[in-house]
Amino acid sequence: MNGTLSGDDARIEGTGKVEGTPPPPLLRAPRGRWLSGFWRYAIRRALLIPAQLVFVLLILYLAINVPASIATGLPVGFQTYVQGFFQVVANDFTGNWGTTTLQLAGYDTYNVPWTQVYAYYIPPSVQIAVFALPIAAALAYPLSLLAGWSRRPGLDAPARFLTLTGALLPAFVVATLVMNAVFFSYLSYFQDVPSQGLIPSVGWFVLNGGYPSWILDDFITRPTGFPLVDALIHHSWTIAAISLTKTLLQASVVAIAYVAIFFRHARSVVRSTSEEPHIVGARARGISERTLLWRHAAKRVTPSFFLIFALTIPEFLGVQFAVEAAFVDQSGFGYLTFTTLTEGNLAPLDALVFLLAILVLVWAFVVDLVAIRLDPRGAVAR
Amino acid sequence: MTTLSDPDTPGPSPPRPTLRERWRRRPPTLGFWVGAGLLGIYVVAALSALVVFRASLGTLPENSAWVPPYVQVGPSWAHPFGVIPGFGTDLFRALWQATPWDLAIVASILAIDVVLGFFLGAIAGLNEGGLVDAVVTFVGDSVGSIPAFLLAIIVLIGLAAAWPTEVGLPSFVVILGVILWPTMARTVRERARLVGHETFVEAARASGASFRRLLVRHILPNSVGPVLAQIPLDVAPIFFVLAVIPWFVNCQAPSASGSSPLPVFLPHFPAYWPLPSFSFPEWGYLLGFGTCEGFSFPGGFNYWWMYLFPLLAILGLGLGIGLVCDGIERWRRFDR
Repeated sequence: MNGTLSGDDARIEGTGKVEGTPPPPLLRAPRGRWLSGFWRYAIRRALLIPAQLVFVLLILYLAINVPASIATGLPVGFQTYVQGFFQVVANDFTGNWGTTTLQLAGYDTYNVPWTQVYAYYIPPSVQIAVFALPIAAALAYPLSLLAGWSRRPGLDAPARFLTLTGALLPAFVVATLVMNAVFFSYLSYFQDVPSQGLIPSVGWFVLNGGYPSWILDDFITRPTGFPLVDALIHHSWTIAAISLTKTLLQASVVAIAYVAIFFRHARSVVRSTSEEPHIVGARARGISERTLLWRHAAKRVTPSFFLIFALTIPEFLGVQFAVEAAFVDQSGFGYLTFTTLTEGNLAPLDALVFLLAILVLVWAFVVDLVAIRLDPRGAVAR
Repeated sequence: MTTLSDPDTPGPSPPRPTLRERWRRRPPTLGFWVGAGLLGIYVVAALSALVVFRASLGTLPENSAWVPPYVQVGPSWAHPFGVIPGFGTDLFRALWQATPWDLAIVASILAIDVVLGFFLGAIAGLNEGGLVDAVVTFVGDSVGSIPAFLLAIIVLIGLAAAWPTEVGLPSFVVILGVILWPTMARTVRERARLVGHETFVEAARASGASFRRLLVRHILPNSVGPVLAQIPLDVAPIFFVLAVIPWFVNCQAPSASGSSPLPVFLPHFPAYWPLPSFSFPEWGYLLGFGTCEGFSFPGGFNYWWMYLFPLLAILGLGLGIGLVCDGIERWRRFDR
């Protein structure tokens, strides 16, 4: 796509040649400048991320540390708070997140560095997300295109109704319903229960010869920490099948719940694209609706879909956390978050949210750049 | 010399149609009427609850005689929505009693959300590249990077640690309203930015219109669309926050031994919870507790009424708001 015009009107009718001088390639700097607009924008956005993280820590400091110091009767004062804030910033940015003061299910986590605890809990959540995101994309992309494109009230009205309902349904309720609906068939096939992470339950191991050596402390798997990958590495095909089933179950619920949120934004993007002059003009020239939708509009809305995805990452995380908690996925980051929240344990929360903010901001940054690369017409891209 | 008959000269603009003319030309859609009907039912239910329950509006009555141990009372003529376990309250009465509270909570949070998000987003969009735009975008992106429910609960925990007496529904409303505005502001800012580059705004700017006049006359009226699209989506996190903690605390949180607790039929809350007591009528809480208790054993759907009816109450309100907002937006688009 680099270095070419994307609009149909730029081509000379019938020849396929581009009229006029093509614009400079996307990543090449214009004359008199060191960097192209794209790279200048990328550097500015990248430099903004640490500032945004500091601001997130400020919000958390005001919400967690200041009230905690008041509650514990520690000496207060503006200077003390400022020093305390800078200490928190320094600790969080250097990974000095302290040690645990609570015993978490499955792991011997008392007095263990939080970095180590997070290293245990993150891989299973990543495993679910790796499956949930493609499922969500496979559902959201065609559905949003079809519903946004259609003018028939018979398709549009039910689509709007379903997405609004889906967005209003709390993810944990959907997950609980799904878990209970599939419980018996799951149990009869694998002789297992849908709980305790992404590996089989304790009862399954008792019935099947005990824990293999590559599973430590109930849930932690070695060498990668990803249960499915580790099971495959060790040729434990049944454990891999159970892990895959549990992952797919949770990932499907996450994907369906998230698609409802995504769909409402995406549908309006497709609707406004269908009214753009080049689409209306192409329709007037007799190009079929199918070609217009799948060859023109589908390409045109992709950058906007990426941006919607970047904006709704926090919602995606919220959905995944609730689903992990509903499936009693005790090895996941979502379960850890809810356990910490319900106990009112303030200590790990700023590091936990700091990690989430890094994930969301970096992800949004990458998606933003990908969206600009896909749509080089904007001022930033030049 | 230019005369009025010159075809290049625009004539006087036609008079703006009145509300009645617009209504006659394009009556609202069926969806709008369904949504308005749903909201009307909720308002009538809320007003009647205020009259019927009066002083006892904030407390669910307990009647242990209705709930023999481990025998759940399902829907019947006497109890059309069944009975809540633990304190034995008719679920229909509980949902009815909760209606004015929930309408007040949702309306207050959305009011804060819309006022902050709409005005700050519009100002930022019109002031593109300026200081206000930079501040609003920076704050919005930073706050928006944390899932709303997570930030709301963290702030509640902090509040409960320092000032436990201040934790309650008013503080919950303010906290959630302030947390939700960045999403609204971001979508409004995008629209306001585009409107700010339209020719009619450029013309008004060239003719010397002040920032305030541009904002009030042109930007705000043309940036209502994203607000109407976002309002129904902002209803969801309100009930999510209110439902998820009662559900997790009562059903999913690990006990000291590391295992999940069995249903206990008596709800309990963490100290930071905004509801005044466990017998306070609120749909989100009833949904969370009902989802917890509704499955008597894994795979069992036999206590379905405990989560289904609170869920329908929440969905009805959300759909009513969504359909009305969609109807208004379609009407506005046609009018232009």
